[in-house]
Amino acid sequence: MSWELFWLLVEASGLTILYSAVSIVVGFFVSAAVCAGVLSSNRPISAAARLFVSFFRGTPLLIQLLLIYYLLPQIGLNVPSAVAAVLGLSLCTAAYQAEILRGGFQSVPRGLIEAADMCGLSAFATFRRIRLPIAVRLTLPALTSEAIMILKSSSLISVVGVVELTTMAKDLASSTYQPLPIFAAAGFVYLVINLVVAGFGQLAERAARRGHA
Amino acid sequence: MNALSSIFGYLHGDDGWNILSGLANTIILWLVGSVLGAALGFFIAVARRYGPKPVDWLLKAHVEVIRGTPFLVQAYLLYFGGPYLCLALGDGSVCLTLEPFHAGLLGLTVYGSAYYSELFRAGFEAIPRGHIEAATTVGFTRWQTLRRIILPEMTMLVLPSMVNMTILLLKETAVLSIISVKELKFQVDIIGNRDYAFVESFTILALVYWALVEICGAVGRAAEARLSRYRFAHS
Amino acid sequence: MSIVSAIRVSGVVKRFGSTAVLTGIDLDVPRGAVTCLLGPSGSGKSTLLRCIAFLEEATDGIIEIDGEPLGFGLDPDGVRMRLPDASLRKVRSKIGMVFQQFNLWPHMTALGNVAEALVTVRGLGRVEASEKAMAQLEKVGLAQRATHYPSELSGGQQQRVAIARALALEPKIMLFDEPTSSLDPELTGEVLNVMRSLAETGMTMLVVTHEIGFAASVASKIVFLDHGKLLVEGAPAEVFGKPRHPRIDQFLDTYLDRGAAGLL
Repeated sequence: MSWELFWLLVEASGLTILYSAVSIVVGFFVSAAVCAGVLSSNRPISAAARLFVSFFRGTPLLIQLLLIYYLLPQIGLNVPSAVAAVLGLSLCTAAYQAEILRGGFQSVPRGLIEAADMCGLSAFATFRRIRLPIAVRLTLPALTSEAIMILKSSSLISVVGVVELTTMAKDLASSTYQPLPIFAAAGFVYLVINLVVAGFGQLAERAARRGHA
Repeated sequence: MNALSSIFGYLHGDDGWNILSGLANTIILWLVGSVLGAALGFFIAVARRYGPKPVDWLLKAHVEVIRGTPFLVQAYLLYFGGPYLCLALGDGSVCLTLEPFHAGLLGLTVYGSAYYSELFRAGFEAIPRGHIEAATTVGFTRWQTLRRIILPEMTMLVLPSMVNMTILLLKETAVLSIISVKELKFQVDIIGNRDYAFVESFTILALVYWALVEICGAVGRAAEARLSRYRFAHS
Repeated sequence: MSIVSAIRVSGVVKRFGSTAVLTGIDLDVPRGAVTCLLGPSGSGKSTLLRCIAFLEEATDGIIEIDGEPLGFGLDPDGVRMRLPDASLRKVRSKIGMVFQQFNLWPHMTALGNVAEALVTVRGLGRVEASEKAMAQLEKVGLAQRATHYPSELSGGQQQRVAIARALALEPKIMLFDEPTSSLDPELTGEVLNVMRSLAETGMTMLVVTHEIGFAASVASKIVFLDHGKLLVEGAPAEVFGKPRHPRIDQFLDTYLDRGAAGLL
């Protein structure tokens, strides 16, 4: 396998990173709303949020992507396949991130909130200054794993024809008749990206452990 | 309503049988893959903990590679790997070819083993040192300690994550349709493509997987509830 | 006219579901002195303290801080009713609390922990808050640890920061919930010393503790709780001197081994 082919894979991995990053960020904001919904005391809202989490965690991402890809045009939304793919990835990761956030908030020790209470902090100040930073700190390892999971899962958007690393590997494999080295190289590129993300995650955790959440 | 009635229209006759055979294959791949993956994962965890350092490094590299690459890419490698090796060897007399089904099962097992091994490793770590020291002071051998103390405690500790992992494997089986393993999604795709009924076919698939996941989760929770009786004072 | 007590507890009952933890407590905590709340574990002393801090809501009864009802008051017909949150916040701001588990916020430095409420509650500027917080840390002897995070401090140092955090808000009354119970014996001394010097400044303190020696030497009033009831109250000499209540005898037997024998 030549350097030219490998370079094509590296270039395509930029799209993999782009789609994953957008999905994770969009998913984070959706997940905050979903998490608030799950923890809400309003029964219909809580039930709807739970149903959302259950569905997107309970079905294969591959099926979610295909369903959204074919469903959007049927309801009159003709969007590029990349948009449909990012929407699918975002909704899926939102369900997982919502559960991660919920776990984080629920494991903030009660005593720390009581201490804030005794210092007279308002509910909002307690949320912003105590609960949120501690919850994010507690969930950093899980959020890093989720980011890595999405980077890997983004390979599935190749089935709806979006150009990214796996699509490029597939195309090159069939045009060069060298599937083994090409997919091995693609796997290597994924591995490197994920090791870098894991490294950043560890740096963030170390910084957070000293306090700077 | 029209879409819904057409969904149920697929659930009888030949189409129904094809879907059922696909479902059977999915469940076999899932259950066998999970059991073999968990067994291999346990072996990896024990070898890494008690084996010599080089074994630990080698297995760590294996686990990191599997966990750092998409399952789809691993599946492609297994699927194309065999025929390509035949071509590379020239005359095709020495040939490693795997049926898609076997390639899929092998892929699931290896993929699962990497994740399961990490669960078991975390489980080993989470057992309080004092429990093992207590076993030592009352005269347990290493093997007795493993069998009577470490394994039962670890089962309780890792059960929730094992259920999650097993659910993850079920969802990964759908990816195997891409390498033409004749599992549930593969069979439903045939019908969807034939009738140009994509939304219906993917809705059926989503509902079936969702039901399987919920059942698996309920069984897991029941098992946890049973085991929690044995969860004595963790101080 | 009698002097208003710092804390007056009347008829306080606390039930968790069907279990009654406090069964009608009446108590006066005098101003400018140290009152120690003793009792075997499960006697309800921590629950009583948490009710006085309004971390738990008493099922029945009235608690007055400085003559003002806390959380619940009596309407003109003498019926117990919930008071508005504004009144609760105002009355509660007179109280500072120190917890058994310190409860320092792990993502803030020692200085940050002390300054936080000065900024968000009192609305002071960062600089002014830091100066005030620094002064409090100096009082507990930890000025040179100001930039350390809780995980970088010993248990005793963490508890001293927690005391500084409570003092920074200038409370009239300080509540201590077993402040030394999760400390190694060699670290309890530094916390008790800080509490002793605080007592010398005339701070009103209500302390739940197992440190009999501290109670006997610093407290002006001992309150002994057993099974959710107030069993004995009085000056240390009355409570610990003979003849003693048999339950107190029993309780002391358990703790005299801890070196308190010489003090009694």
